[in-house]
Amino acid sequence: MLYFILRRLVLVVPILIGLTLLLFVVARLLPGDPVGLAAGPNASAETIAQLRQEFGFDQPLPIQYWTYVTGLLQGDWGTSVFTRRPVFEDILTYLPATLELVFAALLLAVVIGIPLGLLTAVYRNGALDYATRTLALGGIAMPRFFLGLLLQLAFAAWLGWLPLSGRYPFIEMPPETITGFYTIDSLLAGDFYALRVAIAHLVLPAFAMALSPLATIMRMMRASTIEVLQQDYVMTERALGLSNRLILFKYVLKNAMTSTLTVIGLYVSWLLGGTVLVETVFDWPGLGLYASQAILTQDFMPVIGVTLVIAIIYLITMLVVDLLYGVFNPKVRYA
Amino acid sequence: MTVQHPLTIPARSQSARMENWSRAFYRFRQSWLSMIGLAIVILLIVAALLAPYIVPYPEHVGGVTNTAARFQPPSADAWFGTNELGQDIFSLVLVGSQVSLFSGLAVVFIAVVVGTAIGAIAGYVGGWADETLMRVTDLFLTIPSLILAMAVAAALGTGVFNMIVAISVTWWPAYARLVRGEVIGKKEEQFVVAARALGAGPLRILCRHILPNIVSPVVVKASLDMGFAILTVASLGFVGIGVKPPTPEWGTLLSTARSYMPDYWWTAVAPGMAIFLAVFAFNLLGDGLRDILDPKARR
Amino acid sequence: MTLLKISNLQLSMKSYEGETPILHGIDLTIKRGEVWGMVGETGSGKSLTGLSISRLIPTPPGRYLAGSIEFQGIDVLKATDREMRALRGRHLGMIFQDPTTNLNPAFRIGTQLVDVALHAGHADPSVLGLSPGASRRQFKDAARQTAIDMLGKVGIPNASERINDYPHQFSGGMRQRVLIAMAMIGKPDLLIADEPTTALDVSVQAQVLRLIHELVAERNIGVLLITHNLGVVAQICTHVAVMYCGRILEAGAVHDVLKRPSHSYTRALLDSVPTVHTKRGELRGLGDLQPEALA
Repeated sequence: MLYFILRRLVLVVPILIGLTLLLFVVARLLPGDPVGLAAGPNASAETIAQLRQEFGFDQPLPIQYWTYVTGLLQGDWGTSVFTRRPVFEDILTYLPATLELVFAALLLAVVIGIPLGLLTAVYRNGALDYATRTLALGGIAMPRFFLGLLLQLAFAAWLGWLPLSGRYPFIEMPPETITGFYTIDSLLAGDFYALRVAIAHLVLPAFAMALSPLATIMRMMRASTIEVLQQDYVMTERALGLSNRLILFKYVLKNAMTSTLTVIGLYVSWLLGGTVLVETVFDWPGLGLYASQAILTQDFMPVIGVTLVIAIIYLITMLVVDLLYGVFNPKVRYA
Repeated sequence: MTVQHPLTIPARSQSARMENWSRAFYRFRQSWLSMIGLAIVILLIVAALLAPYIVPYPEHVGGVTNTAARFQPPSADAWFGTNELGQDIFSLVLVGSQVSLFSGLAVVFIAVVVGTAIGAIAGYVGGWADETLMRVTDLFLTIPSLILAMAVAAALGTGVFNMIVAISVTWWPAYARLVRGEVIGKKEEQFVVAARALGAGPLRILCRHILPNIVSPVVVKASLDMGFAILTVASLGFVGIGVKPPTPEWGTLLSTARSYMPDYWWTAVAPGMAIFLAVFAFNLLGDGLRDILDPKARR
Repeated sequence: MTLLKISNLQLSMKSYEGETPILHGIDLTIKRGEVWGMVGETGSGKSLTGLSISRLIPTPPGRYLAGSIEFQGIDVLKATDREMRALRGRHLGMIFQDPTTNLNPAFRIGTQLVDVALHAGHADPSVLGLSPGASRRQFKDAARQTAIDMLGKVGIPNASERINDYPHQFSGGMRQRVLIAMAMIGKPDLLIADEPTTALDVSVQAQVLRLIHELVAERNIGVLLITHNLGVVAQICTHVAVMYCGRILEAGAVHDVLKRPSHSYTRALLDSVPTVHTKRGELRGLGDLQPEALA
């Protein structure tokens, strides 16, 4: 088991090397002039040349790459041409906000999607089943950013129940940073007012992100539950008097989870990669907004940095999913 | 056991392949959700083709403004209201379907062609070529596709063509994986071995014997992907990379509408609903196609 | 003492083609200590009769047209779901055909055994050797101990360790023993075994049959053994019922029926069993029997 984890972690290294190379090549092959953009339209040729030298753009590509990769290993992820701040620091600032959003969305999707999938499988072809299935088909097709706008319109502008946007009111101090997750930090500080404020800001963007994965997880769970319910062992469990609740939420659930797990894992990267859309709608100060800012100014050190972070999280998620397979399916052996 | 029937094979009015297709279409018609999807898709395509001729205010599509009539709520004159420039939103959304549908189709087409080529070579040649191609494919799959598409699109500059290229760059790896798996599966089948025994060359085997037999999963994936391609096009427009005004595009329209949001909500609803409807319809269609063409994946 | 009395049980099943009658009035009485073999071809309604006793046929698509099933004084077809649950596992044990698919692959066999033991224990604490007021902890511990004892009893060596294993770590015969342990752990009064040996190797079949036979003798319970193997019936049954097309054609003590079959179908069934004396190429099928002719 430990050997399996270690081997997988070692395998991540060549993937990351390949990834940095690929990103570097793509970034340099593309037209575009970040220095010119950063220096502004009125900059003299001299200033631009100076900036090029400052950022090392005058060096040949292999040397630039070598400088970049050795820097990466020392925690130097390059400097943003635009913010003039180290990319690594920027990412550390914005990552927790995005992760909090992604985890909240994932939590919503899993906590609602899995029981709904189980129940619609049990009561299949009933009213609840048809209603949720139709909603799920719509939920998958709903663009996150449009759903976000509609939610803002309904719950913030018209009903006034929840804040329109942002992560925390500008005029107030967010809870002291420990993990960077406002919800967890306020809990750790025992500050329930801050917790309420943080959750109020989190609900709408998290739900806007969660709907599509929720619908997919529900459909997946419904399908695999129907399959499991037809297995012989469910009949045996019923024949020996176990209650429907015990059978469904213990014995069926665990068997039906395996295929759903893959979907959940894939959604982590989908959520992370698409966070920019929801962050734009809700002015959520996260990685997505940072990346889109960088992309618009063709400032590619941050873009590479963000992409690397998301890729690493993706690879870790895949490892966790593989490990969880073993939990849900005892036949899986780690070799 | 009384009357001996002469042994005859009933004459076929159709070839076996045609019969399969007509049977598939029959099953497709049984699912009313798929039929709704097909109907909306056809409606959208017709609307997109005819849009320039049927919109009530063709001049608005070209960029003519009418500031006297800004932010009119929906009415009989302007069904979906007017925007910040006094343009008829219904006209814009209708013409906007051209960009969305065309780019979606183009993205999927390029992805299918590139992905099939790479996947087929990797799967058929195997060995060293397979290793290299698949490692590169895997790398692309670890990159968050939206961010990569945004970065490429931003670097290439605005325009429909650049946007299509940018999205396609992130879209082909999934097809490469799919096709490679299918080709490897088919490579060992009897009919391929037979063709090889008859002396057919690798290119002929691949194009005449293997690829025609893996059309179904590719078609299914492509039809399911159409909706998501349209969604990605709109996403790029929404974050401000993609088609620039005055060319109307749903994502861009929605992005502009966001600035006037709580008060002039109708500016957002029409383009948003258009995106939703298009994606929804293609998903229904794709689901229906999957059920009939790929019964293994039926869920 | 009469355990089970099925009278005039009629069942039909709905499908796309409409409603098909399956059971045409089954009558059967099982007393304690009796081992009933129920023989018949595939599709004759043996299994559905067995499932009906535990009311495990979903309705719809099933529908009981007439008749009653009385088990220990309770009308099974009219009982509430709660009453039925209290019967299952505790008073009614069931074993199914395929041991590879009847154990939940995602759980340790111990977990599954303990849950069944707990269920039976909650219905009747004496099953676990407890008094009604016992604590949760006591229930848990007793259930686990009972599970280990039961595993040992069905012949699983090293029971206290193997209880932590998953089903895929057992062979087919061992899994069937685990399933027998599960069915017997609640000390049921009636055991319904639906082709318990069909999926097993011939060498293992005899062991499993002997095990069932021992448990039955020890506890003096009633058994309904559903099978299409007349050899099995001859080995361990005291009584036999011959089923065909949803009817019981002939029922009675095993030596009466097998020695002096009164029905032509039973005779045909007996003749179809190959013996050492059967000549090559002489394997006899049952031919085309018309259900109407037997009615």
